[in-house]
Order: sequence, then C-alpha cells, then structure tokens
Amino acid sequence: MEEKQKQISPFLVFFLVHAVQMGVGVLGFQRTIMKSAGNDAWMAVIAAGILINVIIMVMYLLLNKQQKDLIDIHKDLFGKWIGGFFSLIWIIYWLMIGLVVLRSYIEIVQVWVFPLINIIMFSIIILILVYSTVTGGFRIVTGISFLGVVIPFYIFLTFFFPIEYANFRNLLPIWNHSVQELSVATKDMMLGYLGFSTLLMYYPYIKNPKKSQKWAHLGNVLTLGIYLFILIITIAFFSEKQVGKQIWATLSMWKIVELPFIERIEYIGITSWILIILPNICLAVWAGSKGIQKIFNLNHKKVILFILIILLCSTAVIQGREDIEKINQYISLLGLVLVFIYIPLLTILAFLITKIRKGKASNG
Amino acid sequence: MSAWRRRRRQSKGIEKENDKNKDESIESLFQQLNASNDFTHFTFQYEKCSLVIGYYSTLIDSEILHRDVFPFLKDLDVISSLPTLLPIEEVILTSDTSVIKNNLLKGYILLFDVNNMDQVGLVKSDVDRTRQVSLPEVEFSVVGPKESFVESLDTNINLVRKRLPIPEFVIKELTVGRLSKTRISVLYIEGIANKENVNTVIQRLSNLDFDQITDSSIITQLIQDNQNSPFPQLIDTERPDRIASAVGEGKVAILVDGAPHGLIGPTTIFEFFSAFEDYYLNWVVASFFRLVRFFAVLFSILATPIYVAVLTYHFELIPKDMVATLVTSRSAIPLPPILEAFVLELAIELLREAGARLPTKVGQTIGIVGGIVIGTASVEAGLTSNVLLIIVALAALASFTTPVYQMGNTIRLIRFPFLLMAHYMGFLGVAISFCYLLIHLLKLTSLGRPFLEPFYPPRVQDFKDSLVRLPFSLQSKRPIQEQTQDTMRFKAGKAKKNDDPKRS
Repeated sequence: MEEKQKQISPFLVFFLVHAVQMGVGVLGFQRTIMKSAGNDAWMAVIAAGILINVIIMVMYLLLNKQQKDLIDIHKDLFGKWIGGFFSLIWIIYWLMIGLVVLRSYIEIVQVWVFPLINIIMFSIIILILVYSTVTGGFRIVTGISFLGVVIPFYIFLTFFFPIEYANFRNLLPIWNHSVQELSVATKDMMLGYLGFSTLLMYYPYIKNPKKSQKWAHLGNVLTLGIYLFILIITIAFFSEKQVGKQIWATLSMWKIVELPFIERIEYIGITSWILIILPNICLAVWAGSKGIQKIFNLNHKKVILFILIILLCSTAVIQGREDIEKINQYISLLGLVLVFIYIPLLTILAFLITKIRKGKASNG
Repeated sequence: MSAWRRRRRQSKGIEKENDKNKDESIESLFQQLNASNDFTHFTFQYEKCSLVIGYYSTLIDSEILHRDVFPFLKDLDVISSLPTLLPIEEVILTSDTSVIKNNLLKGYILLFDVNNMDQVGLVKSDVDRTRQVSLPEVEFSVVGPKESFVESLDTNINLVRKRLPIPEFVIKELTVGRLSKTRISVLYIEGIANKENVNTVIQRLSNLDFDQITDSSIITQLIQDNQNSPFPQLIDTERPDRIASAVGEGKVAILVDGAPHGLIGPTTIFEFFSAFEDYYLNWVVASFFRLVRFFAVLFSILATPIYVAVLTYHFELIPKDMVATLVTSRSAIPLPPILEAFVLELAIELLREAGARLPTKVGQTIGIVGGIVIGTASVEAGLTSNVLLIIVALAALASFTTPVYQMGNTIRLIRFPFLLMAHYMGFLGVAISFCYLLIHLLKLTSLGRPFLEPFYPPRVQDFKDSLVRLPFSLQSKRPIQEQTQDTMRFKAGKAKKNDDPKRS
C-alpha cells in the first residue's frame, strides 16, 4: 500500500475505470459490431459490458487477496525473471493502448479538421500535456480522469439532436441474428472496453480498496450506458448499409446538429474529445511507467520521458488507416487473451500457490 | 589556599573585563547612533544624579516626552525607580545593548545615570504616523462594514480582534527581514484551525531569509506553494471582516506591519471569485452573481481565442445568418485575425496600464479618450473589425469582475498563450491550452491543500460555498478543505428553528 497522501478516495475509481474505457472507440465502434450483428448489435454491447464486469470481479478477488499491484504479484509468484517478463507483456499492452488512442485521435483530426496537420508536432504537444500530468503523480492522473469525464459530458447532450430524424423501427425485428454472429460482435466490442486493467497497477493507491469495487463496476456500467445510448441512436438514425460506409458514425451524426450560433458541431466534439483521450493516454503511460520503474528500479521521470519518446516515434511510424486497423486488431486480440484467459488463470494460480505456501509454512 | 586565591583573582579580572566591555559597548553604541543626524542626546544635571537622555527625534512623540517624562525626572534618584515614577506603563530596565538598540529604533527613549551605568531605562513614547481607518477601495461593497486595513499592524489586529472577542483567537508574532525587521502576525483560532496549516505557515515564515518585507504581497510570493505559477495561492484582502470570517472558518491569516492587506490561506481557486459582499446578499442573488463572475472569467479567457480560431480555420462553424455580419466587418481589414486581436488586446492592456500609473482624475480621462477614440478610430481606419472590438472590450470588462485584484491580473495574462495557440492550431489549440491550464490548476496547492477543491478532489459538501453560495442554514459545517479540528460552525437544527408566536 502506498502512503496515505498519495492515495485517492474509493469512489474516484468510478472515473478512472470509465475514463480509460472511453476513448476514440466511441466515435466509430458502430461499423465493426454492426457488420456481424446488424440491428441486434446492442445486445453485443450489453453482453460485452457484463463480461467485463465479471472480469472486474475476478480482478478484485485477486487484488483483495494479494493487496499489491500486478508487478509485485508476478514477482511473488514467478520470481524476478519470469515475473518480470510477464509484467513486461502487460506494460507493452498498456502502452499500446495509449499509443492507439493517440494515433487514432490524430487520424480523426487529420481527416475531419486539419488534413495537413503536422503529426509529429501535434503528438509532441499532446505528449507534453501527458508528461506534465504523469510527472505530477497518481493524484494528478486521477484528477485529469475525473475532469475528463465531468467536463466534456455536455457533448452527450448533442446526441439528442439526431433523435429528431431517428426511426426507432430500425431496431426491429429483435433477435434476427444467430448467437454466433452476436458472439463475434461481442468479441469485436471488447476493444471499446479495454484499458480498465490498469486497475491492477493503481489498486495500492486506493484508500479502503475493498470499498472501491462497486465503483469500478459502476464505472463500467456508465461506459456500457454511453455505448448503448449512442448505438441505439445510430441504429435508428442510419440504415444498416449506411453504417457500413461510415468509419466514424458518431461524428457523422453530429453533422446534422444545427444551433443558432454554431454549425458543424463535430468540430466542437472533436476538440472537446481531447479532454476525453488525455486521461486515457495519461493512465496508460502512468501504468506502463510505474511498471517499468518498479521492475528496473529507475527514476520515474526518466522512465516517463523514455516512454513518451517511444510513443512519439511510433505515432510517426504508423501511417494511414490500414496500420491503425492492424494495430487495433492486435491489441484487441492481446487484450482478450490477457483479460479473459490470463487474469482468471493468474487468480487461480495465486490462490493455489498461496495455499500451498501456507500449508508448507504450517507444516514446517 | 593559594589556588583558591588565584581562582578568585581570575574571576575578578573577568568581571572587570565584563564591566569594561559594557561601558565600551554603550559608548560604541552611542558612537554608532550619533552617525545619524536624527539621533538626539543630552545630559541633565539633577541634585541626585546626572541623567543622559537619548532618542531618535523622528521616531518619538515629543508631546509624550514633554508631558509625561521631563516633569517627573527631577524626583528621580535611581534608574530602577523609573517604572513607578513615570505615568507610562511600558518602561524597560536592562543592560543589554542589543535590547537598547532595538528598542531605540522602535521609538523608545533611553535614560541612564552617568555615574551608574549598570542599568538603563527605556521609555516607550513612539508615535504611530499612519492614516486613519478608511473605506475599502479595492474590495468596496455597498452592503456591509466599510472598514479597511491600514498600514499599522496593531490597528489591523484591533480591527480583527474586535470581531472575534474570544480568548481562543491567537496571534503569533514573528520578525522577518534582515533590514526591514518587519513584524508579521499569524492569526488563527485555537481548537478550530488545523495545527498542520498553522505550523506550515509559521515554519515557512520563520524559514524566510529576505532583506526587506515592504508589503504582504511579497510574503505571498515568498511562501506560496508554487512560486512560478501565475496564480496567487493566498487570498489577499483589505477587509477585516473577511479575515475574521476566514479565521472563523478555520483558515490561517497573516498580517504584515506596513501592509494594508492581509493574507488568507489555505484557499481554493473559487474563493478568488467570491466577493465578500456575497455573504451580505440573499443567497439566490449572491449565487447568481458568483455564476456571472465565473462565466465572465471563462468568457474573458476564451472569447478572443475562439474568435481567432474560428476566423483563421473554422469558418464553416459560422451559421448562415451570422456570416454576413462577420464578412462585412472583416472584409476591409488587411491583417490576419491574430494580428488584429493582438493589436486590440495590447491596446486594452496599454489603456489599463496607463490608467493604473496615472493619478485618478487623469486616468479616467485617459480611459475615456483611449477607449472611445482609439477604438472607433481603429475600426474606421480598417485595422480591426468592430465585432472583435466588442469581443475584446467585453473580455476586458469581464476580467475586471474578479473580486481579487491579483487574480484579475492572472486572468488577463493567461489569455495571451491561448491566443497564440488558437492561431497555431485553431480550436485544438484552445482545447490544448485549456487542458494545460486544468493540469496546472490540478497540480497547484495552497499550504499543501488542493487548489481546485471542491471540484477536484470532489467534495460535494464544499460546493455549498464555492460556485454558488447556498443559504446559511445549510452552511453549518466548516469546509473540508481546511481540515478543521472542530468541524461544526453551528447547530443546523437550531438555526432553522423558529420560535415566532403563531398568528391566527
């Protein structure tokens, strides 16, 4: 457990879990899941959300028992070297989440706002923001997560405008897709929920961590609610074929919003989205840097700087839609494996090993 | 036996040397003091003794000297009877030269007998040449008390203590400044204020090593948590009622001798946007005013940058009906929006600066002449559009609504980075600057307490007196921000209870 001054109240976990799940995915998740599940895609959103909730429960089982973060659990169970290796995989996974969020956001800016934007300059500016947040410590990261959820919330009000043109009969007929199609959609939906596993790193920073479990679940439920809300409006607003052509269906919906003093609300949306992705990147970088710092015993600030330089280089290397799609696929695969296979296994293993050790200790 | 004698002789020698030292030091002290022309000293021959009297003629009240000291001196036989002889309570008897020196410089009169230098007397007769307590000028309020601090520490403490007549209200005094020897008082209420806060303030003040403390704003800059931040982290106020209520809330106040402003900490950013008058108005009205002020701040920071961003990059955003207005006002202007905005913003800053430096009456004239003439002329000359003129003038006006002067300056300053970023990246630039501002505010602390509270860390209870001011019956608890020892201000139930007789 960390010092009391660095710790946060348990209910802030709500914002941490929610902030890291909400990323660029919200702007264009509809196409991927409606490809297989069509107008029943909303079931996939709910199913994915419930599955994630189960995993959060498993994570709390593990963490409440161990009372330390993932790096220490690994070290404890597998020793320095193998444990360190497993930890590194997680760190790379978190950093990739940060990378993909940053790069996709830059892509959206490129496509929708500034076609000729200097990618490197823009990433440098955002990474400076990330640096000044992450070096401030975990309390500041939590703060920006909190503000990143609360301040841009007005954006979701703008989604009521498309309802005027929505046709909710599009939702019918319900259950006209097979379970197989739905499960494929659920798998695709998982990408939108990933990132909550950073909980494994910040668990020791929570005051009364056991009380925070319900907040983590609620945070996830809020994410589910937002995805569901947007998806239902999308299904009602677009026809299935139209959605297939929209990479960013959410942004396209904004186009019809018209206010007396402003038009093209998507500019405001994309601009405000910076406050939504910032906590996302910050939390990912924080988790990654904290992990590296713990494994190799280095200076935290230097680690952060190192990570940010790597992120900067990677954003420059990734070119175009195909690369981003590919990375998205890798990440969702890696995420699925880590979250749905690795975490339950680790939990069972941890239980067994601690039991065996206890038995040995009492015998000897 | 012989050893004992030797030791005794030695000790006598030391005593003699000590005496010599004392004589010399008084002599050398006189020499040092004589270097200044306003130091006066003379010798009086009385029957029983010959008295030397010395003082700084500029520091003492000659009336006291003539009325309360001289007439009584002829009855004096030894210095030690001074306190009983004179009608003045503050008489010090000492032989320590450093005490003598310090008190002479505080306005004491030095008295000693030439034949008996063992003890000298110091009689207080200082004169306090400060102005009278007057109306608050910076934080004027229509309703409520109209006293404000002056430059004398004792008067200021008196103004506060009158409002808190309880023995728990404690004042700790320190002296800071190698040259100025400024008296600084730390005010708090024992049993309410958090000990940690009090200790932080006292520790930071006593750790200070600085030559001259001429005002409380120097103290703010020296002891605030982040000295490189443009945001002040201690509230600066000239109202004794504000200090008294802050101390009652569990905060720590600092008063500096010679400064007509006191300091309050720990604070939050929202307190900088609350005028003390808010507490004297009905809570609905007060909350409305606070929201207006908060909106004004946001407008003041964001309006011009948004104008620049929209006209440089995002003209698609302008609705059809508004296009005509903007196009006609901008069509003849040769400058890009950023330069246009900069010219006007700088003009406003110039006006403000000129107005601040000039005497009041001339300043007003300059304001009118500058505002009207320069504004209209630059629009007619085609240098700026009149839409921008309106925006910039409104933004400047909005920045003046901030009740705390120091914060108003900050608001005007941080507009410029926003402008530059708006020019560089449009809306994204504005959003990035805004994020940076948020992160900076998140990192700031005031005496170690979070500056953005109750927004972050979110504390619903403290919202009652931040962006809005809810009725007093809901304010029964002291803010969590101060981590007070006694959290209850009053009993909520009792305040609400109404014993009016029922009328039929």
